[in-house]
Amino acid sequence: MSGETIARRRIELTVNGERYELEVEPRKLLADVLRQDLGLTGLNLGCSHGVCGSCTVLLDGATARSCIMLAVQADGAEITTIEGIAPSNQEMHPIQEAFWEKQGLQCGYCTPGMVLRTVELLRENPDPTREEVREGIASNLCRCTGYQFIVDSVIDAAARLREEGAAR
Amino acid sequence: MKPSAFEYHRPESIAEAVEVLGALDDEGRILAGGQSLVPLMNFRLAQPTHVVDINGLGDLDYVRAENGTVRVGALARQSTVEAEPAVAERVPLLREALSFVAHPPIRHRGTVVGSVAHADPAAELPAIARVLDATVTVRGAGGDREIAAGDFFLGPFETAIEPGELAVEVAFPASAPDSGFGFAEFARRHGDFAIAGAGATLALRDGVIAEPRLVLCGVGPVPVRASAAEAILDGAAADAETIDAAAVAAVDGLEPPGDMHGGTRYRLGVARAEVRRAIAKALDRAKGDGR
Amino acid sequence: MSNPRTNTEIPKAERPTDLKWIGKSVKRVEDPKYLRGLGKYVADLGFDGMLHAAVVRSPYAHARILGIDCSAAKEMPGVRAVVTGAEAAEIVDPLPDSGPAPDKHVLRVLAVDKVRYVGEGVAVVFAENRYLAEDARDMVMVEYEPLTPIVDPLAALADTGNLVHDDLGTNIAYERTFTFGDVEGDFAAADIVIKDKLHWHRCAAQPLDNSGAIAMYDAGSGEMTVHTNSISITSFAFLLAATLKVGSNKLNLVPHPTGGSFGARFSNWRTIATAALGAKVTGRPVKYSEDRLDHILNGDQHSSDRYYELELALSRDGIFKSYRTDVVDDYGAYIYLGVGTHGNAMAQVVGPYRIQSTEYRLRAVLTNKTQQGAYRGFGAEVANWAIERIVDKAARELDMDPAELRRKNFIQPEQFPYHIPTGNLYDSGDYERVLDHALDEFDYTGMRAEQEKMRAAGRHVGIGIVSCQERSVYSATEFWFWFDEPAAEPTSTAEGVKLVVDPMGNLAITLYSTPFWGNSSDTMAAMLLAEEFDVDPQSVSFEYGGTKGGLPAAGPGGSRLTVMYAGAIRGVAGKIKDKARRIAAEMLEVDADDLEWSDGGFQVVGAPSSRAEFPDIAMSAHLFATKLPDDLQSGLEATHVYDHPYTTMPSKDRSDLGVFYPCMGHACHLAMVEVDLETGGVEILRYAAVHDAGTMVNPRSLEGQIIGGTAQGVATALLEELVYDDQGLLLSSSFMDFLMPTAMEVPELRIGHEETPSPITEYGIKGGGEAGRMMAPGAVSAALDDALRDYDVHVTDLPATPERILDWVGERTGS
Repeated sequence: MSGETIARRRIELTVNGERYELEVEPRKLLADVLRQDLGLTGLNLGCSHGVCGSCTVLLDGATARSCIMLAVQADGAEITTIEGIAPSNQEMHPIQEAFWEKQGLQCGYCTPGMVLRTVELLRENPDPTREEVREGIASNLCRCTGYQFIVDSVIDAAARLREEGAAR
Repeated sequence: MKPSAFEYHRPESIAEAVEVLGALDDEGRILAGGQSLVPLMNFRLAQPTHVVDINGLGDLDYVRAENGTVRVGALARQSTVEAEPAVAERVPLLREALSFVAHPPIRHRGTVVGSVAHADPAAELPAIARVLDATVTVRGAGGDREIAAGDFFLGPFETAIEPGELAVEVAFPASAPDSGFGFAEFARRHGDFAIAGAGATLALRDGVIAEPRLVLCGVGPVPVRASAAEAILDGAAADAETIDAAAVAAVDGLEPPGDMHGGTRYRLGVARAEVRRAIAKALDRAKGDGR
Repeated sequence: MSNPRTNTEIPKAERPTDLKWIGKSVKRVEDPKYLRGLGKYVADLGFDGMLHAAVVRSPYAHARILGIDCSAAKEMPGVRAVVTGAEAAEIVDPLPDSGPAPDKHVLRVLAVDKVRYVGEGVAVVFAENRYLAEDARDMVMVEYEPLTPIVDPLAALADTGNLVHDDLGTNIAYERTFTFGDVEGDFAAADIVIKDKLHWHRCAAQPLDNSGAIAMYDAGSGEMTVHTNSISITSFAFLLAATLKVGSNKLNLVPHPTGGSFGARFSNWRTIATAALGAKVTGRPVKYSEDRLDHILNGDQHSSDRYYELELALSRDGIFKSYRTDVVDDYGAYIYLGVGTHGNAMAQVVGPYRIQSTEYRLRAVLTNKTQQGAYRGFGAEVANWAIERIVDKAARELDMDPAELRRKNFIQPEQFPYHIPTGNLYDSGDYERVLDHALDEFDYTGMRAEQEKMRAAGRHVGIGIVSCQERSVYSATEFWFWFDEPAAEPTSTAEGVKLVVDPMGNLAITLYSTPFWGNSSDTMAAMLLAEEFDVDPQSVSFEYGGTKGGLPAAGPGGSRLTVMYAGAIRGVAGKIKDKARRIAAEMLEVDADDLEWSDGGFQVVGAPSSRAEFPDIAMSAHLFATKLPDDLQSGLEATHVYDHPYTTMPSKDRSDLGVFYPCMGHACHLAMVEVDLETGGVEILRYAAVHDAGTMVNPRSLEGQIIGGTAQGVATALLEELVYDDQGLLLSSSFMDFLMPTAMEVPELRIGHEETPSPITEYGIKGGGEAGRMMAPGAVSAALDDALRDYDVHVTDLPATPERILDWVGERTGS
């Protein structure tokens, strides 16, 4: 069976606040639709079998591995990628600022996924212990940092977000 | 590592899903969470000609307590079930086991029913269905069938679901309010499949163990309900000797196949240890007023 | 400093003073784009009309290729070409190969007559997208005649009938014994000889990003452009140009950042050649982007796989006298980096100890497995583990504290620069200071007391300590001193940079050979420039230059980059400042000699208010030609190529390998572990690491390397293994089975720093990039031994998996 003879399906994705109507092959992975069709190359393919988490996006607010999801499964969903979390081109999200401050990245490949997972973690637990952070980020592999500065970054981000929340 | 091509179906009702599956006979793979299926498709180890995506069947996204049973619909995500108060209250063993399933991002998409229907011998949820004597409801052209967990698992990745049928629900009988529960497993990394794992529920009444239930995962082609071990626990004092005897009995006669992560002898040793731990946890929680 | 290459006198190391930027843990300059998802890795790049490659990989470890039928594949939608190995051999020549006999173990982009490992490519499809390429790949029909796989390296040594490469006539690619000093005499005179037998199992770097290349070929001009994340080593790119059959000045390898490397981006010739082959055949841009299976099976990047028999000769009171290594290394089916990983071993084979003689017997054997490449440590991490294992065994034999046994054998501070028996130089060090700092960081006395309490409670808790070298900045000699008559004797491993100062005085630097692996290359360069020019590191702009018209450069590897950048930037800054000084002198109407650099400009010595700011000088240089001294042209730019700071030639008979890896860092690691005797599970309770990498540029980024390296070392010790079955099938070919650690498997590290500056580098910097992985395996092994001392366990195999641990315990208890 050839991919070219299978009927494409029309899907609607809202990505980083923008609505897109796309026609995709049913077998095309969400990761590839986001990276290729929408040019959002921030998410990365580290393993293509759902283990490393470098392809993580937020789907209807919850982390999801875009390399093991067909784009057609995301029809109607609201997706946030790393490109969508900074408030503007000039500023960064407090989590991004924290990772920069604490050197929570080296090569940057796992970083988009790690940052989005952090968004979720801190939403669920705004004041985590180091142990809780370690367990929380165990879902995402990093080959460079050995995780310690990522933990520092998440703890720092938590403080920034709490402060931001208190200031409002 | 991209999937091969397939015909894609997205039924909009359960009836339509059953109809499509019936027409496809066994050519249709069901896609719910996809956390097991899509990786296989990326490796092209699975090359289905037809994929039936049931994510549009919103009616199947439920978890509810009803008359001493917790019913989980086919689309209920693992993390939804994990967070559901009724589950913590009535089938706490299920909730504890869920915390061992992979990682939260996987559980956001993976479904409980999907995992039970996938029947991976190393997986936690089929074992929980087995130990709690859950009932799987499958729907086919001829209507609904209820299959007891004891009859459901036939072999590695093989269940009693017939071609053309869709598992729509797994119903877990609630555990006795005074029972304790415990799940324990040993894996090489946090979130990995277990080398071996065990789940137990039991109560302490009049100073002895009552209503013991014990299951092992990762030690055979299907979840192993350790009836001989249950018999040893039933009515016995909750002491180290009893626990040890139960652990020995639980693995007696088992021959888990070895692989690069451990041979048969090693896995049996781990299984014994995890059985002890699961029972100990359950006893701890059962003591006094049980919860 | 006079030319250090010929001058055997090494100056005294000086701690630099008055540093303004070096030594500060500033935020990295790379980070914002990666945090925003804007860092463009090769996998992210696309070009109009680009095709995608999918390689048909062999399912057999050893088989003759009888025929390949591509007819069905060529008809598949979106397919533009399908090329077999035989066809490819007409278009591209064998890949560059530093192995012992490249004409006999011929390394091609695709196999031609037979396949020699599972995963070896036999054909390649070029199609409109990767999905379609893989569909067509499934339709390529290959007829194989399976041969008996050669999987056991020790059996392969003896086997003359079944050969990986028939032309080689043997499976032993290289065999030689090197003797340095009076080994026989020292062993004969020793009181005690300890023996050990070890196996360091195969693993791999497996960065999350894989090798990728996009090639474009212009048949009219003969220019081949390849966008790649591999290092390119500018001065050796002519070899790859020859492979690709393009003019040596017409190959442009354009560097791009890679998501991690740890050695796996060190020379990805196969990836580049695959894309280039496609570009030549189709006339369109072609991308070959490895996926995880491509990389783990066919990426040429497996680690050392070594079987050791060791002997340590010592006196009764614990003084090491001599050390023998007998090592068999299973290289897999090819050996494109030669036995360079053993050169790395010999750079520091005696560890930090005053061992006077040493022997190294090496047998490199070929088998039907994926070949070795580079993995952080490049073979020296294995040698570190080996010697620390036998030292621990000696400690147990002598009933001595392992820290004290090491201490009494350390090379002493006043002995540096110190030549080890192999001929290599240790430039500086203070091992006792590092040891004491580490013991303190770990609270060794306190933890020993804790351990006793835990043991009394029935827990199996152990503490291990290692003292290890971390060589940095390799010389080219280690790739050819293996042979008495090498084909060539290169001695250049230079690093060039180009610096352009614009009219506003802002800096733009060009780096070469894929500088960024995650290793803070840009931040290092920016901080070094900041130190020279008093600018904010964040203000520097970067260009990554290709090999066409590019300066000699090798990029990262062997922990060399920061040292080499320090030299190159010092050099280029000097040239810029020389011109700037003269322009300033003209501007201020003083003699150039009356000026000194201070705080971002030149000022008159003794009259600091008489200043010319650097931006004004730059503006003048660019725009006011008639105001410049007569012999100066407009503009303000320079290049500088910095050669290896200290290399000497090996002796003819190779009883002295010369100096080839002199910038010698050092570290002490301590681990405390607990073993669960029911499951074999290991928990790391405490971990401390004190490192000495000379003068630190950015302590925080160095710590990042230490932690990341330690994580990999812990994983090497406990988790990661590439397991082959008896048919040569790789069982651990996915991340489900090749177990890289999550945050739950890596301990929290207590880190300390010492700085003994190097006497031969700018600022006294030494390399620190391989940190951690070179020490952690030994520390964890030692801690396991200690935890299981009741069972007399001595960890001899890594990874020490739960099952292996219980087997070792079982051997003692008879269960």
